[in-house]
Amino acid sequence: MSQLRKDPIVGRWTIIATERARRPAAFVDPLSTVTDQKKCPYCQDIASHSIYESHGVKVIKSSSPILDESKPFERQAQGLYEVCHSYGSHEIVLESPDHIANMADLTIEQIKAVIRTYCLRMQTHRKDPSIEYILAYKNYGVAAGSRNIGHSRSQIMAVPVLPMRVQDKTRGAEQYFDIHERCLFCDMVNQELKNRERVITENEYFVVIAPFASRFPFETWVLPKYHHCDFADGIMGYEDSLAAIMKDILLRMKIGLNDPAYNYMIQTSPVKNPSSYKDHYHWHIEVMPRLTRVAGFERGTGFYICPIPPEMTAVFLREVDIHATA
Amino acid sequence: MPQLRRDPVVGRWVIIDSDHTKGPLDFPKEDNTPTRQAICPFCPGREYQTPQEVDAVRPLKSPANTPGWLVRTVPNKFPVLSSDGALEKDGIGIYDQMTGIGAHEVLIECPDHDKGLTELTEEEMQVVVSQYQNRFRQLSKDSRFKYVVIFKNFGSSAGATLEHTHSQIIALPMVPKTVLEELKGAEHYHQFQGRCVFCDMISQEYKDRERIIIENDSFLAFCPYAPRYAFETWIIPKGHSADFANMAEGLRDHLAQILQDVLKKVKRVLGNPSYNYYLHTVPIGYANGACYHWHIEIIPKLTRSVGFEWGTGLHIVPTFPQDAARFLRED
Repeated sequence: MSQLRKDPIVGRWTIIATERARRPAAFVDPLSTVTDQKKCPYCQDIASHSIYESHGVKVIKSSSPILDESKPFERQAQGLYEVCHSYGSHEIVLESPDHIANMADLTIEQIKAVIRTYCLRMQTHRKDPSIEYILAYKNYGVAAGSRNIGHSRSQIMAVPVLPMRVQDKTRGAEQYFDIHERCLFCDMVNQELKNRERVITENEYFVVIAPFASRFPFETWVLPKYHHCDFADGIMGYEDSLAAIMKDILLRMKIGLNDPAYNYMIQTSPVKNPSSYKDHYHWHIEVMPRLTRVAGFERGTGFYICPIPPEMTAVFLREVDIHATA
Repeated sequence: MPQLRRDPVVGRWVIIDSDHTKGPLDFPKEDNTPTRQAICPFCPGREYQTPQEVDAVRPLKSPANTPGWLVRTVPNKFPVLSSDGALEKDGIGIYDQMTGIGAHEVLIECPDHDKGLTELTEEEMQVVVSQYQNRFRQLSKDSRFKYVVIFKNFGSSAGATLEHTHSQIIALPMVPKTVLEELKGAEHYHQFQGRCVFCDMISQEYKDRERIIIENDSFLAFCPYAPRYAFETWIIPKGHSADFANMAEGLRDHLAQILQDVLKKVKRVLGNPSYNYYLHTVPIGYANGACYHWHIEIIPKLTRSVGFEWGTGLHIVPTFPQDAARFLRED
């Protein structure tokens, strides 16, 4: 049974995943496995595990889940430390029946079906009173933490605690709102659209920027131009627009950066007390190519060294011709 | 001039290194090319290849920037922060920025290209630790700086670009986020409990025992209860001590000993992995020393952190700390 543990100093929660516990030798020289379509587990018949299926998108339970819904959620103290078992759910979203590796190569229609799926799974998970946060994210490529299977997929985790970085974000946005009575993200969108030097691409409802204080080279954020704190509720009616902009930015990265590993994650408001986030929070997606390694300094300080100004990132990605090879 | 910029949402500061910007294809996909000794700028005889040294231990009083040193500290040839200029703060709409003032030094730990920290003699290791403290004290005197970070990247997947054994020191004009979070948590605990949270942690580690790796007269090495990474290990002074700068001379040798012992264990048990370590101490001039407790965090680079961890700060660790401690203890 895995556990969630809370650091008593900064309040950071950690999942201790015993199911995946490895001996020291297992870390030595890990080799990535490359599988072709014939060996792809997702191209084989795995319909029996399917939780949800629609428009070529299939949701299955993770084969090595680090969260488990079978026992009720309960927190305990062990002296100074706090512990609870790792309640929650961990699902894999298979984005297409076709053996296509990069989401950038899916059709806009297919990406839209994936977005719909995220939305529906979030709406399902948030009914569970023990769930505090739902994260939809993607690891593409070995450097981004994915196994090299070559079949485009993403993951959804529903967790019973509020993760630290999410708390940082909502708190920061709340403080800004308290002072200005405006949404920080709306102000950011306005400033970026006026200033334009960090804007990479946009459409009617979304803008993609290289954030002012980027942590990583070629970090980008996809921001809705309209205000809404929650992804699952706020995306309704805008799915086409988001699918188009996701395809656009992922293609820019694939072509411009030579098919890099990347992660993206949907940053949405916490599940509990939605009304308290309504005014000040603003959902968005962070997209990060994995081009550099995080070294001791960044880990130790939470202070990142980004080797390229976001303004240059924006120029570079803006100038990529996505229609040439698409 | 590099810039410091603050994310307006979480308050995280970053350095925009505009002086050595890289094109998209300058980033290596896999960087394991070892430096040949013939061109290593850290080897004796090539002192001219580094910027002028700021400090060195020279037992035979050889002149600066010549061979004959045991450890040598030089400014980083490609600093992420610049030590010249005034600290200027600026706001652009919702964004805040500062000039990238700071110091970035490289501490070459040993003249011998073929030795790592684990191969040093007891005395050589002590010289490294006392150089850490000397540089720390020296940089703390600059009124533009608020925080000094000592850290080491070993192995290319931990971010090391030169294989000759070295550590780095960065002095910053602000307190970094991770440290602020620790301070805030520790202050909060102290306010309610009237005790140092780290001291309480040490007592509980002694009671539980299962996460302890080794100890000596002055220091304890253990795997923290809620680690972020597999085999994460902390070295902490047993007695309350907020500021690394004030570590007594007698403790330095004990620190050298336990640090080397832990690194030897990590090397043997995990098969010479890449690793990072860094020192957390109070900010320069911090008044509330009763609540904080300096320590070193050692992180073997064993797994890749995935999107989920980046986006949430919720780390997924594949090894229980008590198991990690047992493997390291029983080595």
